[in-house]
Amino acid sequence: MKLTELVQKLNLGVRSAKGSLERRITGGYASDLLSDVLAHSKEGDLWITLQIHHNIVAVASMKDLAGIVLVNGREPEQETIEKAETENIVIMVSELPTFELAGRLYGLGVRGMK
Amino acid sequence: MAPDSKISKIQELIYEISVGQVMKKNVVTVGPQTPMSQLRAILLEKRISGTPVVEEDKLVGIISLEDFIRWLADREHDCPISEKMSGNVRTLYADEPLTQAVNKFERFGFGRFPVIDRKNNKLLGIVTKGDIIEGLLKKLEIDYHQEEDVYRHRVTHFFEDILADKVVLLFQYDVVGHDFKRAGEGASRLKATLRRLGLDPQVIRRVAIATYEAEMNVIIYADGGKIRVRVEPMEIFIKVEDSGPGIPDVEKVLQPGYSTAPEWVRELGFGAGMGLNNILKCASKMDLRSVVGKGTQLYIRVSIEDGAKSETD
Amino acid sequence: MKLKDIQRILEAEVLAGADLLDEDVVMACGSDLMSDVLSFAKSASLLLTGLINPQVVRTAEMADLAAICFVRGKKPEQETIRMAEAKNIPLLTTPLPMFESCGRLWRQGLPGCSEYEKRG
Repeated sequence: MKLTELVQKLNLGVRSAKGSLERRITGGYASDLLSDVLAHSKEGDLWITLQIHHNIVAVASMKDLAGIVLVNGREPEQETIEKAETENIVIMVSELPTFELAGRLYGLGVRGMK
Repeated sequence: MAPDSKISKIQELIYEISVGQVMKKNVVTVGPQTPMSQLRAILLEKRISGTPVVEEDKLVGIISLEDFIRWLADREHDCPISEKMSGNVRTLYADEPLTQAVNKFERFGFGRFPVIDRKNNKLLGIVTKGDIIEGLLKKLEIDYHQEEDVYRHRVTHFFEDILADKVVLLFQYDVVGHDFKRAGEGASRLKATLRRLGLDPQVIRRVAIATYEAEMNVIIYADGGKIRVRVEPMEIFIKVEDSGPGIPDVEKVLQPGYSTAPEWVRELGFGAGMGLNNILKCASKMDLRSVVGKGTQLYIRVSIEDGAKSETD
Repeated sequence: MKLKDIQRILEAEVLAGADLLDEDVVMACGSDLMSDVLSFAKSASLLLTGLINPQVVRTAEMADLAAICFVRGKKPEQETIRMAEAKNIPLLTTPLPMFESCGRLWRQGLPGCSEYEKRG
């Protein structure tokens, strides 16, 4: 499924790298611990997190994740947006908490394990 | 340990200790059919001035030396105790906190209360004012070994204080800095105590969350501090104080998401710059004062009228 | 949804509170930030988390949560399990990752904290 479809279906706000919304996601990963994401997320995952610190961009870039969704209405810091534009990482935002967003993505066929 | 923290310890104990823990078990009892003529020997032999009347484990009355003297003075014929005893006995439940006992002693002016099981009304023991003081002293001796005379004075003193028109309860908890494992012990003990006081669960939840976040801040940023809590009928005041490095820009730390927490704290699930906002959400009023190099004081007021504030925002 | 349903759906192992599996859980949240849990989770929620330190149990205690389920097969130290037992907070551990755990429970009808509120 493409990021553009998710943005539309789940009413996500897009905060960076609008040009990369055509990318397809292959799975979902939810975590607020950067070390955990570094260790266990897979290439092409959509990452759900509460963290807004600019380090999330570095982690997403290193693991080649499809994009990041910030939950609970949290907005990225300016520095995070700038970094994401440079690294071409899509950052989206949702009002939903992690549990509900993961639930809806699951309902759209996104899985958290192979 | 400062004198004021001893008082708060005692005040906390009268909510934490139950009547069952201080009562005397193995109570001498009489049956309702025991003749009055035998009562004197029982009271004399056991050196007691009154005794519960029990039938099949259930308390049916209480008979005192006074009742016996009255019977003697009236020169009546011998009769079963049941005819002279006071029925409708005021009792305490074994699981009630000592504060209930103290209130009842004051209200009814009795010298003793039979203690019964809440579930089946069986007589479990008997409690006097002396038992309460003794129980408090014992508990304090377990917790602190020094300066026993001071405690004796304070316990008896406090006993008088609790009978005032307005009761204000003070609790104090010490916070050890950088001890992440034990973080939250103060908030946990406070929560247990407030539960015993019978406060509304949502009010307790707000106080617990606000205190826990404040305690966590002391542990992360300072070498330790104190939590002081003042419970009044309609309001709870929490003051959390540390002698840590202080906060250079108080306005800034109140912004959601602003944090200077080190990475190890973030990996433990704290330090995301939400703590103070959380406290603000739970509080009716909050005030943060800090002097760089001297320390930080956080004042939190939770009004009982605000009820479930933190869950409805 | 009962705790034992959650145990089944998440293929979870019970670490504490085995006698509480008939308790009802009315909603859930998934988070690794305890301040977030303290702020947004409602009483009687299930907490799904990848953290296993004692503060997770403390957080559940303070916020009156119904139970905790650790994800990705994590297990806390014995001391933390004992604390949960003492506070009557059931602990579960599932081999599934957070995303998958949330997804399965939500699809089986367990609402999140913000949805539960709207349902009133």
